[in-house]
Formats: sequence, structure tokens, C-alpha cells
Amino acid sequence: MRIDCPHCGSRDVQEFIYLRDAGPRRPDGMAATLAEMHVYLHERDNPAGRHRELWYHGSGCRAWLVVTRDTRTHAVFAVEALPASVESAST
Amino acid sequence: MAEPSSSAAGWRSQSAWAGVAVSGHLGADGGAGVTVCCLRDVGMATLIAPKRREAALIAAVEARYGMRLPEDPRTVENGGVRAVWAGPDQWLLVTADVSGVETLREVIADLGAVSDQTGSRAVLRVSGRAIRAALAKGCMIDLHDGSFPVGAAALSSIAHIGVHLWRLADGPDGAVFEIAAPRSIAGSFWSWFAASAAEFGCAVVVES
Repeated sequence: MRIDCPHCGSRDVQEFIYLRDAGPRRPDGMAATLAEMHVYLHERDNPAGRHRELWYHGSGCRAWLVVTRDTRTHAVFAVEALPASVESAST
Repeated sequence: MAEPSSSAAGWRSQSAWAGVAVSGHLGADGGAGVTVCCLRDVGMATLIAPKRREAALIAAVEARYGMRLPEDPRTVENGGVRAVWAGPDQWLLVTADVSGVETLREVIADLGAVSDQTGSRAVLRVSGRAIRAALAKGCMIDLHDGSFPVGAAALSSIAHIGVHLWRLADGPDGAVFEIAAPRSIAGSFWSWFAASAAEFGCAVVVES
């Protein structure tokens, strides 16, 4: 599997680290109820097919990327740089 | 008890390659298909622009050094100072010695974060007719002209070691690359490099 990093170009998957589904946003820990935090932590989809994911290019440019990938075939449909708005919200 | 003066303490700086690489010929007899120079006393600093404020930093560097910090994986050089792309809004500045890093601090002031990396990385300058074949044993980047022309730069890993590499102007034997690896594992990197270059014959110069 190769990922076409928008900063570095096409690289082998061993340069990257998978984090998680790119969709969920961590709730404000001081404001969220236990139930809301439970949903965020544990209730994730596990689709067989197209999935938007956060990947970190740790051995390359050290940037976070959003990779759209088929979880059955590892075909990569799209790779985007993480928008700055998401970057600050997901830390 | 009196403080020992720095001269009395007897501290001496030494090359990152001291005790690792030895000048001479390595591997196969005959001509050298690979030439490697183990550099020392290279001044280095990382430069990071604040988010969405990279324009001011780029302008300040351009005004002082007469070169534009590359925003894609390339390296530029002017007047003995080299800038190498090191990720989005990040660069590695390479100078002949550490005084260049002090100048950089003054130029950047509060426009970005400068972190002195002098001595933290061990740098090889490699060339020779077989250099691409030797590097291909561990480097995942395609280093041929079409995809890695003069001035190209990349962050990647070789033999599980994070490296920063860039291509200089061609020399008499063709392509010339510089590869920076963490100094603490220069010995491991050298093991890989020496083993990979040995079959081509390798001329080694360790700067002292």
C-alpha cells in the first residue's frame, strides 16, 4: 500500500502511522456527559469499504493527513492535508 | 575549589563520524564506484513558521539571505547558507559553521522558531557512478533525474533511521547527495551505508 502524501509525494505505507476514523470530534472533556464521552470513545463504525481516516506521516513531513481508503482492498481514493480548522479542534 | 577554565578542562569537539568511519578504501578492490565524504562542523538549525504566518518569515529570510524558502520538497542555497524543506512551513538551515546559526536567530527574531541543531545530525556527502545503486538498497525514494532532480529534497527513512536528504549540483561523477541522520545512531547508519556501498568499492574521506 502506498499513500500519495500531498507534501512529499507517493510513499510506502511504512512511513505512516494510522490513528483513527477522521470523522468523530472529541467532545469538550469538561462539558461532555459520560454518555457522550462513551459514544466518542467506543461507538465507532467499522465499515467494510470506503473509510476516511487520519494518518500521520511520521517518517516524512510529520503532517497529519486524511486518507480515504477501501478497508477491503487498501485502494486509496484520496489523500488530503488536514485542514487547519480540524488540526486545532482535534488535539 | 576554583572553576577549571574551558581550556584547562580539555574539552575538544569531534566529528560525528569519529570512531565510526575511517578514511581510506572500503569494499571491492579497483576503482571506487561510490565516494563518500563524512562532514564535520556543519552548522544547522530548524526553522518553523507560526501557522498562517509563514509569509513574513519567508520575506525576512529572502531579504537577508537572498533566497526564497522553498514551499515544496526542495533545497536552495545562496552565499554558503542552504535551506532545505523539512515539512509544511518548516525548514532546515545548513551553514558552514555555528556562527551562521547565531545570525539566523537575529534575522528571524520573533517571526518564527529557530532551534540550533548543530552537532545533532551526522551528514554524509555521497556521489559516484554507482551511488544510486548503493542507496537503492535502503532508500525508498526514487533518486533518478526524472523524480529527484538537482535541488530536490526529501524526508524519509533508510534502514529504519529517519533521514533528511537533498541533491546538490552535479559533480564530475554525476549526482551528489547529502544525507543527514541523527548523530546518536550515526554508527548504525554507517553500518548500513558501508555494507551497501562495499560491492562497488567506496572511497571514504572523513573530515577531521
